[in-house]
Amino acid sequence: MSKVIVCRCEDVTLADVEHAVALGYCDLEEVKRYTGFGTGPCQGKECLRVIALALARATGVPPESIAPFTTRPPLVPTPLRLFARDPSADDSDDDRDGDGQPDAEELA
Amino acid sequence: MDRRIYEHPLRTFRRGAPLTVEFDGERYRAFAGEPAAVALFASGVDVLSRSIKYHRPRALFCLSGHCGACLVRIDGMPNERACRTPCSDGQVLKGQNAFPASEFDLLSAVDWLYPRGLDHHTMMTGSRTVNAVMQKVVRQLSGLGHLPTPAGGPGALPEVTGRDVDVVIIGAGPAGLAAARAAAATGARTLCLDEQDRAGGSLLADPRHGEADADARALRATDAGAELVSHATALAWCPEDDGGLLAVATPGGLWRVTARRYVYATGGYETNALFENNDRPGVFAARAVGRLVVRWGVRPGARVAVVGAGAYPDALAVELAACGIPLLRVGRDGSERVVAAHGSPVLTALDIDSPRGRRREPCDAVAVWELPSPASEAPRQHGASVTLVEQKGGFAVDIDDDGRTTAPSVFACGDVTGYLGPDAAARAGERAGNAAAHEALGRP
Repeated sequence: MSKVIVCRCEDVTLADVEHAVALGYCDLEEVKRYTGFGTGPCQGKECLRVIALALARATGVPPESIAPFTTRPPLVPTPLRLFARDPSADDSDDDRDGDGQPDAEELA
Repeated sequence: MDRRIYEHPLRTFRRGAPLTVEFDGERYRAFAGEPAAVALFASGVDVLSRSIKYHRPRALFCLSGHCGACLVRIDGMPNERACRTPCSDGQVLKGQNAFPASEFDLLSAVDWLYPRGLDHHTMMTGSRTVNAVMQKVVRQLSGLGHLPTPAGGPGALPEVTGRDVDVVIIGAGPAGLAAARAAAATGARTLCLDEQDRAGGSLLADPRHGEADADARALRATDAGAELVSHATALAWCPEDDGGLLAVATPGGLWRVTARRYVYATGGYETNALFENNDRPGVFAARAVGRLVVRWGVRPGARVAVVGAGAYPDALAVELAACGIPLLRVGRDGSERVVAAHGSPVLTALDIDSPRGRRREPCDAVAVWELPSPASEAPRQHGASVTLVEQKGGFAVDIDDDGRTTAPSVFACGDVTGYLGPDAAARAGERAGNAAAHEALGRP
């Protein structure tokens, strides 16, 4: 069906944003929490500008007074293997920091 | 189907060894070096996955790893970006959020059942029991897949490498490469990190520049003494660690990068125009079409609409014409506007409004040029202020003439400060790299 998609990760439409504004949600954080835009894999990379400008038009607020929503790490989809070990994987070297305690228990 | 260009009047495309990959049970021809998304599209796969809520067809859009539209399951791992994963012989890819397959998904009935949208806030709230059952059903239908068992993570805690330099530059597009060359030329220890598989950024999508120019600029930076690292993705600014550090993902593990000065040359993200069914496979960001034809030698379609005003879409139209691809130029002077896309599951036509009225044009690909949106999340995390300016493409980093942001030790240059285009971005990078290096070395 015909829809104008503004956030393709979470399937948020232009009508959803206008509906949120009509309900009284009028800054980016509120519209994000209500519609879910910017919470998918792209974290707002594709949609933030589009929705911020749509919000400016819908509310009549000048664009330069609109603040972006908070950006949180990681900035891109990141595999957990960069940060953590897999406890199900067999590995004899379980004490990489050399303190005599198995790392898995220290993490737990 | 094979969309690859084998004869080109000006360019030669160096392809690796021929391979076979599998997608949703069918086998497709690919070449070593091609990202999986490019290989599948070139061999005729139009739909990669389905969207999370309405099960609308999804396919590559930005071809730079940012839009989240090409997530597929690759060799058992869900949510891999097909545009950033190189293809390999025997690779098994599967679409996500689809039953029985991405091309034909029965669950797309949701899109037809809720033509005006499905408001998840007011769904089934009449009955607690029905609501609880519906929540379970919805959770089964949505989500982006289960991890394989075992997950295949490392058995030991991953290695972390510390790097300390005078100047670190994030991004190796036209601005970042110029900044790296200028910074290194002062004698400062200079590290330039780039998340893509090779340096060049938007130059690689630009028919006026291309790989040869990107390589030449990268060589000038390394000749000046800069260290250039590809596949290195800045993940976060972590202010609480050791007085602040930049966390960087590399194929060899995590890096903790500290520097006297930080220069963000992160460029801009591809964005879409607003029209009905603007998410149809076949609607691409203009620079994704640029990457297909300039870097990978792949035709975006049999008849391509180039939409939008500016030097970049003009250059892209010239390139498509040189490839012998029939094209349609829309909105070059701002008097025409795309209002709707047609076709299911892939694009077959566009509705275009002009002062003469509405007309329908058949086409199977659209290159949408909208100003790239400044990739300002990283400098924002680092404390730099940004301002939303429509003419700059979005939330642009605020800078002075030398690229200083409002945060101490933090510089920004190029399209992240508002869209400049490659030539002006390179000049801004030169100034910022030079100024950052002088500050880092304590020189006036």
